[in-house]
Amino acid sequence: MGRIQLHDIRKSFGAVDVLKGIDLTINEGELVVFVGPSGCGKSTLLRMIAGLDKPSSGRIEIDGVDVTPRSAADRGLAMVFQSYALYPHMTVRANMAFGLQNTNMPKPEIDARISEAARMLEIEPLLDRRPGQLSGGQRQRVAIGRAIVRRPTAFLLDEPLSNLDAELRVSMRAELSALHDRLGATMIHVTHDQVEAMTMADRIVVLRAGKVEQVDTPLNLFNRPANLFVAGFIGAPGMNLWAGQAKDGAVQLDSGARLPLPSGVTVPEGSVTLGIRPQHLRPMAGGPVRAEVRLIEALGPESVVHGDMGAGGTLLAVLAGQPDLARGTVIELGYDPQMAHVFGADGQRLA
Amino acid sequence: MTGVKGMLGAVVTAPLVALARVLEVPLRLWQRLTGQGGMVAFFLLPNMAIFTLFVLLPLVINIAYSMTTGAALFLPERTYVGAAQYERLLRCTDYTNLMTCQEDQFWIALRNTGTFVVLQVTLLIVAATITALILNRALRALSFWRAVFFFPVLLSPVVVGLIWRWILDRNGVLNAALVGMGMDPVNWLLERNYAFSAAIGVTIWAHLGFFALILLAGLQAIPRDLYEAAEMDGTKPARVFWRITLPLLMPNMLVVIVLALIRAVQVFDEAYVLTGGGPGTATLFLTQYIYEVGFASLLKNPGLAAAASILMGGVLIVLTLLQLALGKRNERKGRLK
Amino acid sequence: MSRALAFLTRRKGGDAWDWTDVFTFLWLGSAVFIMFGPALWLVLSSFKSPAQLAEFPPTLLPYEAQTVVVEGFDRPLPLFSVTDEAGTRTLAEVRRVGTVAQMVDPENPGEVQRVNIANRTPVREVGFSWGNYLDPFLRFDFLNYTKNSIFVTGVATLITLLTNSMAAFALSKYEFRGRGFVVVLIIATLMIPLSVILVPLYSIVSGVGLINSLWGVILPTVATPTGVFLLRQYMLTIPDELLEAARMDHASEWQIYWRIVLPLTAPALAVLAIFSVVWRWNDFLWPLIVLSRQEVYTLQVGLNAYAGELNVQWHYLLAMTVITMIPVVLVFIFLQRFITAGIAGTGLK
Repeated sequence: MGRIQLHDIRKSFGAVDVLKGIDLTINEGELVVFVGPSGCGKSTLLRMIAGLDKPSSGRIEIDGVDVTPRSAADRGLAMVFQSYALYPHMTVRANMAFGLQNTNMPKPEIDARISEAARMLEIEPLLDRRPGQLSGGQRQRVAIGRAIVRRPTAFLLDEPLSNLDAELRVSMRAELSALHDRLGATMIHVTHDQVEAMTMADRIVVLRAGKVEQVDTPLNLFNRPANLFVAGFIGAPGMNLWAGQAKDGAVQLDSGARLPLPSGVTVPEGSVTLGIRPQHLRPMAGGPVRAEVRLIEALGPESVVHGDMGAGGTLLAVLAGQPDLARGTVIELGYDPQMAHVFGADGQRLA
Repeated sequence: MTGVKGMLGAVVTAPLVALARVLEVPLRLWQRLTGQGGMVAFFLLPNMAIFTLFVLLPLVINIAYSMTTGAALFLPERTYVGAAQYERLLRCTDYTNLMTCQEDQFWIALRNTGTFVVLQVTLLIVAATITALILNRALRALSFWRAVFFFPVLLSPVVVGLIWRWILDRNGVLNAALVGMGMDPVNWLLERNYAFSAAIGVTIWAHLGFFALILLAGLQAIPRDLYEAAEMDGTKPARVFWRITLPLLMPNMLVVIVLALIRAVQVFDEAYVLTGGGPGTATLFLTQYIYEVGFASLLKNPGLAAAASILMGGVLIVLTLLQLALGKRNERKGRLK
Repeated sequence: MSRALAFLTRRKGGDAWDWTDVFTFLWLGSAVFIMFGPALWLVLSSFKSPAQLAEFPPTLLPYEAQTVVVEGFDRPLPLFSVTDEAGTRTLAEVRRVGTVAQMVDPENPGEVQRVNIANRTPVREVGFSWGNYLDPFLRFDFLNYTKNSIFVTGVATLITLLTNSMAAFALSKYEFRGRGFVVVLIIATLMIPLSVILVPLYSIVSGVGLINSLWGVILPTVATPTGVFLLRQYMLTIPDELLEAARMDHASEWQIYWRIVLPLTAPALAVLAIFSVVWRWNDFLWPLIVLSRQEVYTLQVGLNAYAGELNVQWHYLLAMTVITMIPVVLVFIFLQRFITAGIAGTGLK
């Protein structure tokens, strides 16, 4: 129960194509995160799965059944809204009971489900309060509780953590993951925060401008980004991306630097982009990466170095400890060529 | 658009700006002499003087006025009679028969106004709610439809009264339509029940848009999310209305009801122009009674009119307090949210 | 056209017509008819001649009987369309005797024909009786009424804006003893309607000698608690730092008021100005009481007096009603966008 398949989902608002053909399979019990910059269509896609919006074309299947023409109520899904959408005039208990009453469920069953969910989410003392009397984190739990009591085939969460402060967000992140393990239900989680995606997801769907850029596990996305967009989007601070000409196993940058390519892959001669994560650079006297230090952000355990490589090239490096560097000095860095990423002129991964 | 706005702004502000410039030097001197306190007094004086003379003072002397009799206009020249005017207004030999009351006109006006308030406010609120619900359905050209309903709100009561007098005329277009459909023409404004219904209908026509707009604002303040959450929960439309829309609209609804009541109690101008209170006394309302007793009739009795206006004011104060209390409650609720 | 059609056939879910769609359609459809219809009918009727207004059933558009100048007759003769055994033709009527009309063919004026009046109908074409609009201004006092209305509306609005904004400024930007009391007093009187204080107000206005004076209409209306309340609420949102900065720049309190606070309050002033114009233009009960001499009547009072005459001259009355309606309709056309633009344009919340 809870396998969701999307076939060539398209959506246009007037002349604007918001989704340009999405094919995706979400397996039973999986926690999938849709991530992408704002306006990439991730929330639209989620609302389409929920049944709140209808796709312009394409097919949505749940457990092999085509649900595209069905209304939201008949899809057996539950949604947690970004604003929580709790009914302000009802108590927490009434909020959770409302959806169940719609299906004429007997009262003892409703009570049982509510107390079970309340116990699980530790909101039992709040059951007779109204949403206006709750803190942000408590409202968040109630919204999740309202979804849980429905026993849906899948949970849809639309940026559920974005209205919480940073500290609460981290702890709710962990709780949501734990809840997913306990319930074992399919969950689709939408966020624009790549850290949230990396920490929670079984698989991440990276979307941009209405298209799927890559679908994979968090570590595979980090280690083998399929294209320049994913490479730049996943990982913090962002990957160094240097354009240059590939020749004889190295990339010649405009600044004159020659950076070695990974061995064992054939890169055709011509324009490429070399990508190296800031964490993979380390100080090396006479190393191929030379830059003038512009700014040092000392974080304690590590330091983020911003540098200028000449000819418009910029450098980001995360160095262990607190290296003794002054602005204006030139540092020399090296890297393991096997850790480098190479992208062709079309932006797709070569190695 | 900007042109019109700019022109209007310029026309309105030009004389004010000229005045402000002229006053600059004398007022700087005044400020030097009297300090900030003197300036505050200067800012407050014109408005408060007019306010005191034409709002506060009448309010205060109205009670004294209602305890006097005679035709003299100035309070000191009038004869004190205590509660006699109230007695005259309220005394009846048999309270089941209004004709036995000393001031039967007052009682008729009271009865008419009571009936009017109940019927007009009920129908008005129902129509305004339906209109607001329909306008809230994410219609295209919303501003056009809003304009359709709001348009009569700005018309003057005299214009409204005359427009409908012309339509409801014995030889008017409504009767032409009836005859065209094979029915008998009706003497709309000369038959008691029809004239009374016309007064209700015309005042609803004139004020519907105002109340619908307030309710629409209330509806638009309900987050869309809540409806979507209800949709996910498989809630039937009727249940969405009764359990979500109506409870969340309630604060606005209460304000609208009280406001409609306050206005309906004072009903005068549209009805007066439409029917002149007739036929007979069929559409004689309280404000018209006060107007006629105090100013228009041959036997003017300002004391009696003052007494009647104080009785009406009592009702309005209760309604106003109710509205303020509701406003406070809404504010408190809003803060909790 | 296709857009209109798409709009008309748009439905909520997109799948089938449910009853709410049908109901919406009916409600809005009849609303256009009921809300706009009466005003439109007024305008159409106001262009009809007295004879046409007396017709039952009425025609939709105003018509004028056609006349023709025929050789040998001094007056222009009315044209009729005649249908009888001799066929259909257009003739001019010379005179009517009983049920028989003596008619001539304008092309051939020599020969007089006798026609039964049942067989003829007047020839008319759409035409507007502009006299309905001109006569009241030329022959009656309506020009005067209009001037009076414009004077009352304009002066009352200007005084309202000035005094209300000054009071609102003092009540929002200065701390002084009794401020709370004044504010409570103003809020408490927000809902006091005119009809409650009619009698004593009249005695006061007559005491200061303003009966039958336009100032007697203007002054009692300008100290509206509503205006002070509205402007004060708006001025409270203007940061006090602005005033303090101006004081550091040696601005006098008066300069702070009109150079800094007033311009920032422009959107609220515009709203108050619009409402004040509409209120004062439409005022009826108070002018009706204060003004009892014809030469000081405002339009509303004049209209009412005219409509109250024993023999109502509807053709003039309808035209003057339209005139009275025009300023408000103009305000209305710009009002909706004006207010939203005003609020959006300030950048201040």
